[in-house]
Amino acid sequence: MRDVVRLVWFDLKQELRPPVWIVMEWVTFGIQLFVYGAIISQLVSGISNYQQFYAAGFVVMMTFEVGSHSGRHFVEHAHDGLLPYLLSLPISRSKLFLAITLQGGAELALMITVPLIITLSLIGNLTAISVVAAIVTLFCLGFGIAGFMLGLSFIAFKSSDVYSAVTIVMSTVVIRFSTVLYPFIFLPPSYASVAIFSPLTYGADLFRLLLGFDPSMLLSPTVAVAVIAALMATTLGLGMFLLQRLVEGVKSA
Amino acid sequence: MTEILSILRLARNDFSYFFRTKWLMAVLLSLNLSDMLVVALVYNKLMSFDYFRFFVPAVVVMGLFVAALDTGRRIWLAIGEGVIHYYLSLPISTFGIVVAYLLAGGLAAVVYSTALLLVALVVLPAQAVWSTFILLPFIFVLAMGLAGISAALAALSSTHGEFFFAYQQIVQTLLLTLSTVFYPIEVVRKYLPSFMVSVVSANPLSLAAEAMRQYTFAGQPVQPFYLLNILFASIPLVIVGAVSYLVVLHAIQVKGKL
Repeated sequence: MRDVVRLVWFDLKQELRPPVWIVMEWVTFGIQLFVYGAIISQLVSGISNYQQFYAAGFVVMMTFEVGSHSGRHFVEHAHDGLLPYLLSLPISRSKLFLAITLQGGAELALMITVPLIITLSLIGNLTAISVVAAIVTLFCLGFGIAGFMLGLSFIAFKSSDVYSAVTIVMSTVVIRFSTVLYPFIFLPPSYASVAIFSPLTYGADLFRLLLGFDPSMLLSPTVAVAVIAALMATTLGLGMFLLQRLVEGVKSA
Repeated sequence: MTEILSILRLARNDFSYFFRTKWLMAVLLSLNLSDMLVVALVYNKLMSFDYFRFFVPAVVVMGLFVAALDTGRRIWLAIGEGVIHYYLSLPISTFGIVVAYLLAGGLAAVVYSTALLLVALVVLPAQAVWSTFILLPFIFVLAMGLAGISAALAALSSTHGEFFFAYQQIVQTLLLTLSTVFYPIEVVRKYLPSFMVSVVSANPLSLAAEAMRQYTFAGQPVQPFYLLNILFASIPLVIVGAVSYLVVLHAIQVKGKL
């Protein structure tokens, strides 16, 4: 386990010395919530308190971004030549995979701590169980997205430029065609049929349900739990397979 | 004459680099088109006024802004990868290099936002498309000003290159949220203190978004005074950006590095 912790710290320390990106994410969240969220909330008439709805959505969006960054980070390692070094270390592939996963989890925890605290205090009146369940949902979603991006890394072994384009376009589309920014019932039918395939739709709706939002504007929690669990299991499994079998000797173009 | 030709050649090179960066084009187009065709449409159903008509012209200005900001990334890359030494060895003055970058940044942003405007014209009927041609030179100066902000950020973070994108994200978020790109000024007045409302009103992005809404799409007659406002808000940004970049280039020329 010491090897895993050392590997996690090896990557994480670059983010923390100094923690510019983490602080920047917190500041961005503050501006988005207390300026954009607060003003746009006065225009929205379809939801009783859009600022709270937006705060929860923004936390989910941050989770998605950290998750996808963790997946892309792996490709950057391949591109920079760090991956062959990591593969040559005297640790098993499963431990290496665990280190990559834990590093993503630690990064997620650092990034969303402050925004989550602010969101929870803004919503208020929550039980400890609902808060814990909401945090678990975020982590499951984050791991699922990271695994998905890791699974897509085979594109980067052909062209890192194309990989960047595909993942970034997908990120934008996945966020816009989901319930992160607006409830499902307000989506036009053609967009709703796309949003139903977005993992963020289920992540955001489950997270909001646990924080006490009106269930009538959210999707079924049973389906959401099943989708998030399936996403995490399959994409992490795919990532594990990739690391065990495919990455040996590859180089990101 | 030779100097002008060199500036134009360098500007053309930087201009084409912007459009050749595939991932960047993918980011910008997916972001702006989804804002225009998804976010605007869904928010329209959530609000009691025609948000689609309000927001679509502003997305064109947002496109102009993010495309202009990419100038900073290209300057940052040139400094970081040492390409700047090659530019400094060319038979062109340092001032010429700065002008070339700002021209290319402004032009790339205008061309990119024109593409967005064409999409906007398809989804939203415009009353006076011809007004856009009157707006164009002012929008170009604004784009150069926005490129100037980005150049200043690249210069500011030239010794700590890894912070450039962090600074850029904060500036981008601040300039967009403190503008009337997303919401009308009347709503801003109800929420923000008066000095912040003045900042929002004077923000060049607010001026450009309002000009696009009123003149191109609503068909109101173009007010010369309003266009001068855009010019006066943009020129200081061009100057700040140019001076910052000049200082960095001078430092590289003298010390060989930063």
